[in-house]
Amino acid sequence: MAAPAIAPQRTDQPRSDERTERDRPWNVIVWNDPVTLMSYVVFVLRKLFNHDEPTATKLMLQVHNEGRAVVASGPREKSEMDVSRLHAHGLQATMARD
Amino acid sequence: MARFHGVRRLDGGGVRVRLSHREREALRSLPDQLRPLLTGEQDADTPQGPLRDRLFPRGYDDPLAEMEYRELVGSSLVDERVAALDEFARTLESGDDKRLWWALELDADEAAAWLSAVNDARLTLGMLLGIESEGQWEGGPDPEDPTSVMMFYLGWLEEELVHALMGGLGGDAGAGPAAAGQ
Repeated sequence: MAAPAIAPQRTDQPRSDERTERDRPWNVIVWNDPVTLMSYVVFVLRKLFNHDEPTATKLMLQVHNEGRAVVASGPREKSEMDVSRLHAHGLQATMARD
Repeated sequence: MARFHGVRRLDGGGVRVRLSHREREALRSLPDQLRPLLTGEQDADTPQGPLRDRLFPRGYDDPLAEMEYRELVGSSLVDERVAALDEFARTLESGDDKRLWWALELDADEAAAWLSAVNDARLTLGMLLGIESEGQWEGGPDPEDPTSVMMFYLGWLEEELVHALMGGLGGDAGAGPAAAGQ
């Protein structure tokens, strides 16, 4: 039957797609929260990402005004660590690729 | 000694806290209310789903990736927050009782635990009050509503803690230009 001939094609095709998928960086996104203090967001961004005060403030204002901001970008494992540190500090953060 | 009210930074990363006895009593009521929300223990009076979702938000939109993320970090996130709450509760029982004030010194880790507990308490009260926009609390508390008054008070205390701890971050000189270039 034709089945065995089709099977290898099916596994090969997604595998190469997956590899390019894996190379795309993950964005760490902080979402606006109506209760969290602005100063607290600045503090956490400075503490976790070593941002200086103007940079952390700019990102915080982007979160506040636009509802979200990308605060870091990188490989999945690093981004997952960043998200978990943001979560540990009570911020709403997700990760996604463009 | 300066008769400040609130939180001041100390050399070495710690802070000094000076509050009224009434404020201390209010803070003492928080740990027992917050602990079951953090640990997920059942409390018949409180619907916990949305509260826990806010205290422990999701990291992925994708359900499978989210499940894996939960398995990886879920329990350590809970443990960390409960440990901070316990530290907050423990330090609330220490310090100096004066006639008008209660004062104590916190090291850097204890101060971080205070910030964690106060922030979690504010998030919880904000959820209980159904706050959906900044305008609902920025104008001041509803004096008739103890939950609203408490949330407003914790906002003041959190600002005090953040302000004191922000001074200890440093790094502006070194990390500035590189971070700003991102």
